[in-house]
Amino acid sequence: MPKLGTVTRTTLVAAIAALATATAATARTHDTTLTGAGSTFVAPLLAQWIQPLGSAYGYSLQYSAIGSGGGIAAVTGRTVDFGASDAPLTPDQFAACKGCVQIPWALSATAIIYNLDGVKNLLHMNGATLAKIFAGQITKWNDPAIKKLNKGVDLPGQQIATVHRSDNSGTTYNFTDFLSSASPAWKSKYGKGVSVNWPVGTGQRGSSGVAAGVSQTPGGIGYVDVAYALKNHLKYFAMQNRSGKFATPGLKGILGAAAAQVKPDPTTNELSIVDPPTKFKLAYPVSTFTYVIVPTSSPKAAELRKFLFWAVTRGQSYGPRLLFQPIPKSVLVVAEKTIAKIK
Amino acid sequence: MQAAESPRLSDRRFRAGDAALQLVAGAAALAACVVVGLIVWKVIAGSLPSIRAYGVHFVWRVAWNPVLGHEVYGAGSFLFGTAVTSLVALLLAAPLAIGVALFLTELAPRFLRGPVTALVETLAAIPSVVIGLWGILVLGPVLRDHVEPALHSALGFIPLFGPASSSGSSVFTAIVVLTIMILPIVSSISRELFLGVPRELREGALALGTTRWEMVRGVVLPYARSGIAAAMILGLGRAIGEAIAVSQVIGSVVGIHWSLFSGGDTLGSKIAESYQGGTTKLQVASLIYLGLILLVFSLLMNVAAQWIVRRGARRQGVGTNRGALG
Repeated sequence: MPKLGTVTRTTLVAAIAALATATAATARTHDTTLTGAGSTFVAPLLAQWIQPLGSAYGYSLQYSAIGSGGGIAAVTGRTVDFGASDAPLTPDQFAACKGCVQIPWALSATAIIYNLDGVKNLLHMNGATLAKIFAGQITKWNDPAIKKLNKGVDLPGQQIATVHRSDNSGTTYNFTDFLSSASPAWKSKYGKGVSVNWPVGTGQRGSSGVAAGVSQTPGGIGYVDVAYALKNHLKYFAMQNRSGKFATPGLKGILGAAAAQVKPDPTTNELSIVDPPTKFKLAYPVSTFTYVIVPTSSPKAAELRKFLFWAVTRGQSYGPRLLFQPIPKSVLVVAEKTIAKIK
Repeated sequence: MQAAESPRLSDRRFRAGDAALQLVAGAAALAACVVVGLIVWKVIAGSLPSIRAYGVHFVWRVAWNPVLGHEVYGAGSFLFGTAVTSLVALLLAAPLAIGVALFLTELAPRFLRGPVTALVETLAAIPSVVIGLWGILVLGPVLRDHVEPALHSALGFIPLFGPASSSGSSVFTAIVVLTIMILPIVSSISRELFLGVPRELREGALALGTTRWEMVRGVVLPYARSGIAAAMILGLGRAIGEAIAVSQVIGSVVGIHWSLFSGGDTLGSKIAESYQGGTTKLQVASLIYLGLILLVFSLLMNVAAQWIVRRGARRQGVGTNRGALG
């Protein structure tokens, strides 16, 4: 008797399993799911795309905002259809990803946030001073270098506490890329990367960790993507660009930086628009492109091509209210050429 | 004939069951060994590029620079951070945990025992990422504003108690978080051990006119001693391996700083922070090398634990020890 029971149960389980497989199979033929992972920076933009993409092509988009590093790892392991990263792939990462291309698909900025009680928002700051702060050479808020940039502001004699990302982050790449460009000393000593050897300060995980670290530390200073800074009402600097003007990390400033019209690197599509030359008077100097990384051979090649083409064209119109500036024409041309390589 | 055959049949079935048990249990044990073997093999294979580049020096070199062109890696500061955080956390947690266990078995009124035991055990069930979050938002600022300045002004002449951290993320915060995490492990095992002390022994001691404290000190604690040591080692293992919560509160600083109030990093938290999106092969290999060191470190701890337990058992006499562990 007990044996009979077991047999019946096994049959039942098998039947249910078969049924489930059949349902899944039919579901798959009806619509396509594109999965992606990576940058938290572009996550709000992708969230805006889900709806229109569904009604345009019937695709459903699933995106996990696990950080740029995680996105690169996921697409390298082919566990997702595309990865998203704010920092361009390094040569080793390109090699590991085997036949991946990166396409610039969104454009935004990094805000330098601070926590000073009783001091107004949009204090002035420049790259050279910022580099000295993060190198531990300027340690007080009333340092002459900061005072000189903010005439008439009563700066406290508080200790500066720097907060940086402890995980590998595209935001760190953008920030240190800017510091390296603005300060030769920073470039030779620490350089740029998704993670660098910070001489001072504390590290926190993710934008949320840095924001929490700064907002809980009187005298704190850190960096997060601009949408995050605005959403959480953090104070941030107006940054001096090469022309001497102070720009805020708004759409105008980002557009000003994108106007620098740098050509993407012909083999990697890498673009850097930090600290653009003097003639770009409106530029916010800590602006960055962010990339989508896709394998050139994919079982969903046709769908990916359609999705990416939509993303770099119509998809861009969802950007501005989230502080993403639509990508410029010259970059669009390159992006489309690269998308055509996916087969 | 029939009657003679049926016992043989059942006999055979009995043997088949035995064989099946042998097979299943053996396969399970083998699978466990194979998994450990595979992990060790993978870790060693993965860290080979770093082992080739740095050799054994890696273990004590204090450096970690992942920037292309400036790359240099070493485990020194993380090994130091792991040792300091886990040992100090154990030092804080052990007396607390034994106190909790004694309270629950010997002192608490009966109606309190159930709820308090359940609460202490709930502490063990809180996901580490949640404890870490609480560490950033609540514990860190409290320690920074109240505890660290007090310790610094009272004991500042000892280099361990330097000026308070600015952000609330420090080695000290990590130690307190780890203390909270290992407390329920040590206390619930100790509680079981204390409950296992034979009633006759307790009653005998009390009948001889001992106070409750003398009974605890003279009977309960010695009886459970080697078991408590084992529980502490389990807690230490947890503290050494904890990655996420530590990475949230320790401040991720490379270098050896004697003050508990400065930032630091541990082997586990460094791996958790940096593994995703490692930019170069050498960096990824070095992170796996950190994992290898962590593996060896834990193994040494385990061996030490077994040695302590055995030594305790010998001192105590085998009989009582068997009782304590059972």
